[in-house]
Amino acid sequence: MTRFPAVLVARRNLSRNRLRSALAALGIVIGVLAIATLGIFGTVLQLSATNELGDIGNQVIVSPNPDAGSDTLTSRDVREIRRAANGRGTVVPLVASGGVVEAGGDGTFAQLYGTEDPAALFEAQAGDLPRVHRQGAIVGSEVAETLSLSVGSVVEIEGNRYRVVAVLAESESITPVQPDGAVVLPPGEFVQSQPTQVVVQADSGSAATATAEAVRATLNARTDRVQVFELSSILSTIAEFFALLNAFLLGLASISLVVAGVSIFNVMLMSTTERRQEIGVLRAVGVQKGDVLRTLLVEAALLGVVGGLVGALLSGLVAVGLAAFVEQISYDVVFVARNGAFLVGGVVFGVAVSLVSGLYPAWTAASERPVEALRD
Amino acid sequence: MSDRRREDGPEPSAYRATTDAASDEGDGATAVVELRGVTKEYRSASETVVALDDVDFAVRPGEFVAVVGPSGSGKSTMLNVLGLLDVPTHGEQYLQGRDVTDLTDADQTDARKRAIGFVFQDFHLIPTLTATENVELPTLFDGGVAGSDEDATARARDLLSRVGLGDRLDHDPTQLSGGQKQRVAIARALVNRPALVLADEPTGNLDRETGTTILEEFRRICDDGVSVVAVTHDDLVTRFADRTVELVDGVVREREASEPSGLATSADGGEDETDAGDHEDSHDGTTDDGTDDHGDRP
Repeated sequence: MTRFPAVLVARRNLSRNRLRSALAALGIVIGVLAIATLGIFGTVLQLSATNELGDIGNQVIVSPNPDAGSDTLTSRDVREIRRAANGRGTVVPLVASGGVVEAGGDGTFAQLYGTEDPAALFEAQAGDLPRVHRQGAIVGSEVAETLSLSVGSVVEIEGNRYRVVAVLAESESITPVQPDGAVVLPPGEFVQSQPTQVVVQADSGSAATATAEAVRATLNARTDRVQVFELSSILSTIAEFFALLNAFLLGLASISLVVAGVSIFNVMLMSTTERRQEIGVLRAVGVQKGDVLRTLLVEAALLGVVGGLVGALLSGLVAVGLAAFVEQISYDVVFVARNGAFLVGGVVFGVAVSLVSGLYPAWTAASERPVEALRD
Repeated sequence: MSDRRREDGPEPSAYRATTDAASDEGDGATAVVELRGVTKEYRSASETVVALDDVDFAVRPGEFVAVVGPSGSGKSTMLNVLGLLDVPTHGEQYLQGRDVTDLTDADQTDARKRAIGFVFQDFHLIPTLTATENVELPTLFDGGVAGSDEDATARARDLLSRVGLGDRLDHDPTQLSGGQKQRVAIARALVNRPALVLADEPTGNLDRETGTTILEEFRRICDDGVSVVAVTHDDLVTRFADRTVELVDGVVREREASEPSGLATSADGGEDETDAGDHEDSHDGTTDDGTDDHGDRP
């Protein structure tokens, strides 16, 4: 009548008490939904956070060691840093100090950066960042807002007047070189022309780590001439934290799957007890123990498969809804392979829990001697 | 199992039933199933109950044997042992000439599938399967009728038609009457072409008229060479049987054929129904406990 008799018989048995089967499957639905959704939440959280922290992890900041008696870096230092960072990113020498910026009678304190290459570190919101910065001021968004500046305005810093050539975009990520409250000038405008720090904008977190190591190895070989600040190693600590958080969330979610397993166990135990005689008849008419066991396990697995698929579907909908309705969450942190793995893993786990839960009742029922089962 | 004793051996008493049976028929056909000196004891903490006590019993091909006896006489135990659902404590058992005393569970199951059909008092149909699927059930899990490549569904439908249920093939058990359910059960018992059909109170849950049609079905089966052993309280069954064996306190006794037995009735298949009806009336008139009436010990 069919090539898969166990599936046929199992399906008929499950349809015998639809409500009970549906409730058992619902347990798995909730369990898988919880596992997959919390797993996806964890991924979204982690990816969103690392996106925010992305730039900080790619930057290496080299500054002079105050204990060595110098507060600037020499040209030789810069050359050696360039050599160390070769091929791993852009090296931007920076002169940093502070000063009052005035315009139209208003004034505000601003961080002053001097660099020839502002385009490597910053993005403009209005105006163009010059390829080589020789004249004019580039103002951060906060400064521009406070002093009502726009491209073409004139600002006065420490007695000198500069025309605003660009306004920087509001920074979206955390970085040690904060552009919002800063004004970027040509390095020649500063009293001391030697850079006070060198920013290496590396291509990736690992490139940043490698650069930092290379810089330490060459510049600090004999004495600590420079301090090297890089956050990529902190980022990996943060990633570890998120992995822990993820595991914690999954642990919570798997409790619900365990509860679902108990409910399947209960349902299978009830239904095999009710069907004791039927199972005895199966054995009496020549159905082997293994076939009975298989049929009962298929029943449990069907509950798991149906529950798991529905749970994964709902979880997928929740994830898509998250991206669609929560502004801070973008589709590219939702549609990643890891989230797909959570859906698949959730289903697999759900089926596994069902099978394990069905094992004892199925084994007990299949192992009972038919003569006992048939006795009224 | 290891303590199975053989001290009293197969001869001379163990062969009595077989030789008797053989001389009745006049040929020495191999017994379909045979018990030699079978004892079955149930041990509990406080006592040992002997359900079968040194039983010798054999059934020839095509023979319809009724086993009667009071409740607790060991009838069900005997049927379970014959059906390889239970193992004797002592003694030997042969199925179609093969020693089946010490089979593993899997071999027992296989032997049941191959050679034995069961018909139960409560029919025991699977409620979620149709009539045809119920009949197919014994063939379902290892791909077809035992020992042949015949299409199981076709055979199931054919068997159902033969027991008069050709118009009920796809009905669920709940849509069938008691007699119809029992006929489905008979078809199920026959699907693997067994040598032996074991029936436990096959008419117990049926009215007399329906019971008669079921017993006629058994007679037809026997005419096809299948042996039937029916354990029963119902005197009607004994009238269709070739031979009636009485079981009292675990000991078997052949009942004397002092009344016109089912043999005569069965010989002319077409008239079974009226014949049986006649018997029933006359018999019921005399006593409703035929067992005692004909229980004269040899």
